[in-house]
Amino acid sequence: MITILSASIGRMRSGGTWLSSVVKTLAPLVLALLLGAVILAVAGHDPFEVYRLLVAESFGSAKRVAATFAASTPLIFTGIATALAFRAGAFNVGVEGCVNVGGLAAAFVGFTFVSLSGPVLLPAAVLAAVIAGALWMLVPALLKSRLNVDEVVTTLMLNFIAVSLTAWLVNGPLLAPGSANSATPIVADAARLPKLMRGSSLNAGFVIALGLVVLYWLWDRWTALGYETRIAGLNARFASASGMNVPGLLFRMMLLSGAIGGLAGGVHALGNVFRYVSGFSPGYGFVGIAVALLGRGNAWGILLAALLFGALSTSGATIQLFSDVPIEIVNILQGLIMIFAVVRFSNIWKVRRT
Amino acid sequence: MRIGARGVTRRFGALTANDSVDFSAFAGTIHAIVGGNGAGKSTLMRILQGMDRPDSGTVIVNDQPVTLSGADAAFGLGIGMVHQEFMLVPGLTLLENLVLAHEPVKAFGVVDKAAAMQAARKLEKETGVHLDWSMRVDDAPVHVRQILEILRLLHRGADVLILDEPTAVLAPAQIRDLMALLKRLRDEGRTILFISHKLDEVMAVSDDITVMRSGRIIRSMAAAATSKAELAELMIGETLLDIVAHKSEVGETVLKAEKISVVDADQVERLKGISLSVAKGEIVAIAGVAGNGQEELTSALTGLSRLRKGRVELCSVDVTREGIAARRAAGLAYLSPDRAAEGLCLTASIVENAIAGHHRRKEFLSAGFLKLGRIRHHVDALLDSYSVKRAASSLPVGRLSGGNQQRVAIARELDGDPACLIACQPTRGVDIHGIAFIHKCLLEYRDRGGAVLLISEELDEIITLADRILVIYNGEICGELARGSDVEKIGGLMLGGVR
Repeated sequence: MITILSASIGRMRSGGTWLSSVVKTLAPLVLALLLGAVILAVAGHDPFEVYRLLVAESFGSAKRVAATFAASTPLIFTGIATALAFRAGAFNVGVEGCVNVGGLAAAFVGFTFVSLSGPVLLPAAVLAAVIAGALWMLVPALLKSRLNVDEVVTTLMLNFIAVSLTAWLVNGPLLAPGSANSATPIVADAARLPKLMRGSSLNAGFVIALGLVVLYWLWDRWTALGYETRIAGLNARFASASGMNVPGLLFRMMLLSGAIGGLAGGVHALGNVFRYVSGFSPGYGFVGIAVALLGRGNAWGILLAALLFGALSTSGATIQLFSDVPIEIVNILQGLIMIFAVVRFSNIWKVRRT
Repeated sequence: MRIGARGVTRRFGALTANDSVDFSAFAGTIHAIVGGNGAGKSTLMRILQGMDRPDSGTVIVNDQPVTLSGADAAFGLGIGMVHQEFMLVPGLTLLENLVLAHEPVKAFGVVDKAAAMQAARKLEKETGVHLDWSMRVDDAPVHVRQILEILRLLHRGADVLILDEPTAVLAPAQIRDLMALLKRLRDEGRTILFISHKLDEVMAVSDDITVMRSGRIIRSMAAAATSKAELAELMIGETLLDIVAHKSEVGETVLKAEKISVVDADQVERLKGISLSVAKGEIVAIAGVAGNGQEELTSALTGLSRLRKGRVELCSVDVTREGIAARRAAGLAYLSPDRAAEGLCLTASIVENAIAGHHRRKEFLSAGFLKLGRIRHHVDALLDSYSVKRAASSLPVGRLSGGNQQRVAIARELDGDPACLIACQPTRGVDIHGIAFIHKCLLEYRDRGGAVLLISEELDEIITLADRILVIYNGEICGELARGSDVEKIGGLMLGGVR
């Protein structure tokens, strides 16, 4: 399987093979681990012992692997959502907002239309999340593609609006009756994503995420749309002069990015939280930016990066229980990886500007 | 001698931009440097100003050989330059820009506005110009920015002013003002070097004139000792004809433009009602010095910009309202003059570049999916027939040499035999063998019944290829000549109707 993939990826891609993209994805990780080891040693910990613990806590048993997969699920979605927009040349930092409106929309459908049966209700709730995410991106997409308004500003600002708007809704009109904290009612059982493993939060959302990785890979490598998007993102003037509709591509890809961001929220609501609460997303949209950068926009790179960040967050939560290593050290590692990932990105940025 | 060069040679790869150049300019004179595009004028000026260093030879300042380590070192010797693209900060006022990097400061690093204003008033008195110093640079018209650039140099104490095509962006009245300012500065003992294409102003203002061509100084002389006609002749030189092309059968009209006019953002008319037509089996060339409306004409004909006035027809279909995608679909091909930014996507692979625009053809696409294998075969066969030297077609196109990049671009544009090709500067940055090959491609395409509109600044190229030559000057077609016309006559028309 892997050899077939690697052979076909190399085809139309500028230079990179499967292997080299893995190496390039892992380079920031290795650098971050080296620097992290120095920090740990200075702080008086044995770096090897800490790293061994981190690996054991994230991949040591079937249960720990399941926890890692579960933690990676939203990051795969947000990573792909961000990467799609990046491919088109739009630095969309608004996936976080889409996660929130998508999560609320899915929860709303899930606890409102409780009379519907599972095969109808679950897809309807997921669809609501997708539509909400896409609509949330509509205004920045229009502004960017028609008037060339900087999408970093518009999408970033919309994040704050999304968080505040959803927080207001769950404190007012959508607040669960009799509930003191800001949360919607629980969704119907029929609206829940099936669990994949007993005693774990791993659910069918992970399978959807893997399916999306494959779809993204197909789109990126094999479709005319993926090709046009890539070219438009690399050199918009060239794409226009070749007869491609660059504003149209930007518009569609930003909407699609929003839709997948909404899907991330929907899956999180229907698979983990079972409702929408204030503080629903611990920054999945933002970590998704790091995932997309670390994965260099490549489908398998994104998958690896999401698993890595998922593993760090799972092991970070439990490492405190088994050692005197504070959770902050895991946050430092995450931060270091992001910095090294962004260093890569700044190179790409330079090329694009010239 | 205030400033000059001895035996200066500067090479960029295979191109020799300056070839043992000897140049002298004296204090208290205006010295014009004239020559066609790529003659090496800007390179020489950049070397004199320390922005570039010669491979061999030396810069002379005040009769002493010097090595300039950079623009700052040149400033230290009183040498400053105004570039074609202004180097001002848009969000700051004229006054802030004037003193930028050399601000008078009070305690705690606060800029001393009063002292800055005083300096500005002093400059105004010296030069006789008056500016609204509180205006922001964004709001300042282009001629004000130009004057500000000159005043900045004076503020920093430069007495050698180098101006790179200072009049290219100015209207006639503003040119007169600028010329008056330059004369005044000269009379105060400063040395002014300026690059220009426009022989009228060169003759009107300069004391000395140096003509450059192909990286060499052709002649330096006093302005009083020459004439516009002689300058034009020296600039153009003899032409080399290495390909002999014969006239081919001309068929029906493919590309037709009627009275197209273009106005730029500053409401200056860049194209003044140009009409032209190109038929099957002919190469029609637009000859002209850069900046006379070629870019606007290209955008209007390709559909890259919207056209307000006039009409464009492609294969007898009105495409005036259509963008470039629809015009390409109607049979247009466009070879961009800016290979790095528009003609190719340097970071994408050779295959991705060669197939762009053709990728939605039926043979390469099924249900939205690209047939990558077939595309690869097609591109490899295509590029082999254009002898593109490459290690692998999956490499980024930016790794190819300039000549091979251009072959990729031409191969892509001529793939599938379009009805009409607009070829802009097709041999820019290409070596001599590449040039001959590209010329052959264009002629063969014409002989297969293609229609070519060739927009080029290379007169040799136009003489070699064109069946008809239209000369563009100041946004107008000022003459049409047939194949075999007198080179000097074309050159004269290009420079504004000499003789």
